[in-house]
Amino acid sequence: MPTGPHDPGGSRLRDDEDARTVIPATDVFETETGFTIVADMPGVAPERLEVTTEGDALTIRGRVTRASRPPDHREFELADYAQTFTLTDDVDPARIRAALKDGVLRITVPKSATIQPRRIEIDPA
Amino acid sequence: MARQPNWSPWQEVRRLQRDLEHLFERGNLAPRESEYPPVNVTHTPDGLIFVEVMCPGADKGTLELTVAGDTLTIKGERKPEEGVADTRYRRRQRPMGPFTRTMRLGDRIDTDAVQATYAHGILLVQLARVPEATPKRIAIRS
Repeated sequence: MPTGPHDPGGSRLRDDEDARTVIPATDVFETETGFTIVADMPGVAPERLEVTTEGDALTIRGRVTRASRPPDHREFELADYAQTFTLTDDVDPARIRAALKDGVLRITVPKSATIQPRRIEIDPA
Repeated sequence: MARQPNWSPWQEVRRLQRDLEHLFERGNLAPRESEYPPVNVTHTPDGLIFVEVMCPGADKGTLELTVAGDTLTIKGERKPEEGVADTRYRRRQRPMGPFTRTMRLGDRIDTDAVQATYAHGILLVQLARVPEATPKRIAIRS
């Protein structure tokens, strides 16, 4: 199994306290039942991802671990990710779900039950 | 600045161009090449070559690696969301679709010693150079 382009015998990885932070490329789409946010966050392991809500703010934050040695030929550099979304008042923050797979974060934000079409039971007279 | 006798404005322009290129190389957020996906390549002293490919969300079933001579080819596809009409999108920034990237690594590759893993959206390929033929002394018969 390849383990990475690191110095043989040297220090393998470093935690990037000083890593730059970028805004991830993101798709947002709306369906009948809610919104879905999809963000590219390559290099982020699930345990280094944070999704939080505070008031009407939904924040995603992902930290990357990079190789200790710069590559000979570089076309990309991993950076930490951060982005904040503003939740509209028609969503239900309590039912937000998030999943991270292959460096892609997927968040579903359901609309409040009060916004969705609902059949009203008629009380017997 | 004193002008050299063979001073040429074009030389100055070229120098400026070089300086700018260096500047952009240092600000490495923008890929140096527009090809997708971007790659990082590292050669180790013990003859290994590591190629890191940044391709988050690639459908694992579509990822394909081919090695021939000194050339590595990476194919894959990022499939768009199924059943979501374009009009449903409020924001759309992620590149989608099939991709192919071919690169020459400068050394002949041992096709039997290629390994690859795909983790957190980064494809890591480990390759080994074919060892150089060692010089052999030929005895001359009388």
